[in-house]
Amino acid sequence: MMVVLRAMWRRAEGRFALVVLGLWLIVAGVSLFWTPRPLLETDGYHVWATPSAAHWLGTDGTGADVFSWLMAGSRTNLLIVVLTVLVAAVFGLLLVAAMVARRATVAVVSVVIVDALISIPTVLLALMLAVPLGASVVVIVVACGFGYGLNLARVARPAALLAARSSYVESALSNGASGWWIFVRHIVPNIVPVLLVQLSLSAGTSVLAESGLTYLGIGVPSGVPSWGHSLATSVKFINVYPLTVLWPGLIVTVVVVALNVFGDVLRDAIDPLTNPALRERSGR
Amino acid sequence: MRFVIHRLALFVAALFGVSVVVFAALRILPGDVASVMAGLNSPASRVEALREQLGLNRPLIIQYVDWAGGLLRGDFGTSILTGRSVTSLVAGRAAITFPLIVLGLLIACLIGIPLGVAATLARSSAARAAFHIVGLIGGAIPALWGGLLLILLFSRGTGLIGLFPSQGFPMDGWGAPGEALWSLVLPALSVGIIVGASLMRYTRSSLGDIAASGHIDMAMACGMMRRQAVIRVGLRLATPQLVSVIGLTFAEMITGVMVIENLFALPGIGSGLVTDVGNRDLIAVQSELFMLASFFLAVGLIVDLLHRALDPRLASADIVAEVVA
Repeated sequence: MMVVLRAMWRRAEGRFALVVLGLWLIVAGVSLFWTPRPLLETDGYHVWATPSAAHWLGTDGTGADVFSWLMAGSRTNLLIVVLTVLVAAVFGLLLVAAMVARRATVAVVSVVIVDALISIPTVLLALMLAVPLGASVVVIVVACGFGYGLNLARVARPAALLAARSSYVESALSNGASGWWIFVRHIVPNIVPVLLVQLSLSAGTSVLAESGLTYLGIGVPSGVPSWGHSLATSVKFINVYPLTVLWPGLIVTVVVVALNVFGDVLRDAIDPLTNPALRERSGR
Repeated sequence: MRFVIHRLALFVAALFGVSVVVFAALRILPGDVASVMAGLNSPASRVEALREQLGLNRPLIIQYVDWAGGLLRGDFGTSILTGRSVTSLVAGRAAITFPLIVLGLLIACLIGIPLGVAATLARSSAARAAFHIVGLIGGAIPALWGGLLLILLFSRGTGLIGLFPSQGFPMDGWGAPGEALWSLVLPALSVGIIVGASLMRYTRSSLGDIAASGHIDMAMACGMMRRQAVIRVGLRLATPQLVSVIGLTFAEMITGVMVIENLFALPGIGSGLVTDVGNRDLIAVQSELFMLASFFLAVGLIVDLLHRALDPRLASADIVAEVVA
């Protein structure tokens, strides 16, 4: 663990990603019991206030504190990212398992299904779910998790197939190992690098998707703090108060860059080929 | 030829699958459309009458056959709310969305491919880092925010440099082509810059793969300058991959396009679909989702066939596989 973190820290990109993501976790945690101002405190006399000591990033159209809302939003976004990545990972791995299955019909059918579904945009799925469910976090998580799971399966398939046809899998089979055991023990470790990069890309994309879907009215319901919500509420008044729109967009951009970089750096840090510290350790 | 037939069969099967999924998702998931349409606190009799009128009381399979049969005849149904046929609704909206997507894609290519080539050619580590950072940040900007920044910079009235109308589409549509095109510039830019950044990353990485496989070195050994080799040999070899990527980003672009259409108040397919979902206009949403999904499936089909045509190695690999098998 420490070895990996140290290797990540050594690169400028890694430092950036670790600092941003660390701050995100801390802020989300702190916001659970403290924000500079209560979320529902509105100050009718100081609407659209510019940044000051009382309101660090100013106030919005109802006089609520922008900084507090962004802090509280960070935990909604954290929740969405974690859930989306989980859904994508589970769904994607199940698909990969089906695609490299030894039963030929299962493999062929799953490949065909993935190829067909992959060209359907996430947002269409989200809209479909939004008809019965309305705006909710579930819509974002399910739509994104499903779409990114498909992507994951398609990208991970070559490496998984290579592993599935390897001689160590054959030897495990001849020893009577079950299909699932082989998948977990021998195939998954082979696709971990691809998995990490894809999942961190998915995490970044889900932050972007949250802001888009929330703006369209099918993401986070109104009244729940999130970065997309902060962005969407300030949009209507862009012509009058351009400053307030800067912050949420800036946060989203920085976090998405950090998430995208994180996967790359982590992949290199856990690979003994690119991280000599791991080699020394296993040699001991 | 076998590949083409396989791919076409897959396309038809996928169309059928999509129609079932769209239909089922809108019926089986919780939330009764009739009661939503009737409004809160409306009497049960009114909800029941509405269900009867919409044909929601019929067995699901009959409803599906009815709808899918219409699709086969080219009849996409009638919007419950406006009473207009879905075909005419969508046609009017597509006249805005389609040019927007094409313009956005054009901008993306104009930005992404040259920048990707420049990033490959860059020698100093500082220049490489700069290109890397540009690519990372460009792909991480939320479409909504990018559009807003462009409005703040370039829109008439509030922008720093007032060049373009900030919102809306001319009332007479393409009757005034200059004005219509002008009002699409900012939206297309906001979509194009973001897609351009990811296109830049793909261009650079596929050029990198090609350089690693020795094609560029070979061209240089034959007397080309590095620059020439990358542009003439590298780009030609990267074309099939880039076409695939552009096809896939095409599908991803639609999310950005929906947001951007709403932001710039353009009455296109994206903003129209969002409105229909908000109104719970069941038949319209169902047919529009199917149309969009089949459009993207068709794009996928075309891209796969194009990829095939551009990279003859794939076809010969098939022949080898058939001979071996």
